[in-house]
Amino acid sequence: MDMTVTRADDDIAHVVLDGRFDIQGAQEVDSRFVELADSSKAMIVDLSKVSFIASLGVRTLMLSAKVLIRRGSELVVCGANENVDKVLRGTGFNEVAGLYPDYESAIRTVNERLAEFSGKKS
Amino acid sequence: MSEPGPRTCSRDFPGTIEAAEDAEMWIARQASVLGLGADAEFAINLCLEELFLNAVQHGGANQATISVCAEPSGVTVEFVDDGEPFDPTTAPARRITSPTEDFKIGGYGTGLMQKFSRRMSYRRSEGMNRLVLEFDAG
Repeated sequence: MDMTVTRADDDIAHVVLDGRFDIQGAQEVDSRFVELADSSKAMIVDLSKVSFIASLGVRTLMLSAKVLIRRGSELVVCGANENVDKVLRGTGFNEVAGLYPDYESAIRTVNERLAEFSGKKS
Repeated sequence: MSEPGPRTCSRDFPGTIEAAEDAEMWIARQASVLGLGADAEFAINLCLEELFLNAVQHGGANQATISVCAEPSGVTVEFVDDGEPFDPTTAPARRITSPTEDFKIGGYGTGLMQKFSRRMSYRRSEGMNRLVLEFDAG
């Protein structure tokens, strides 16, 4: 599975995945997801080019989401197709991570929450 | 004109995680022959991936046989493996039910199989796990 990472404002990692998020796909990106969760303020994972996901793919997302949530931040997902969305909701991942239709709505929400969080800290 | 009869195929796979990938490719090749819709192919592949993980990682299976029977009314998939006894029809279906940072990272496969299949039935016979899953044909 191909994985492209760009940094948006404020060290928000924008991750675009392309391919099948199956056993092999999850193994290919696992370590990079861990590194990004440790080094980013937040993560936006674009699944619009992901045609398939099963529980190991969700596990990869959950591992990074947990690291970020514990730091008071978040991982959000955007662009999931109908079946991928059904898998994410089937595990209840939507309870701990926002699911958005596109990158624009995802980045807007993440920026608002980060601003709110930094306001609370100061 | 009468409806087409059942279309079937079957194949043996080794008890390895890599075989799950081979099974996905095999299903993809059979999809047009069997007349599987995109949703049925997605659901079958999702369940097969979970079954290989259970059978190989947790059950120590050395082999698995997958049989598919497609009819206009639905698709039946039988997964037979020689791993430790495991009945996914009675295993707990884990799901995160509220916002929390203390969620479990694994254990969601059984719930996904239940969600993506129409029906699952299990029996253990002659030292083999025999799981039959039914899917919508679409």
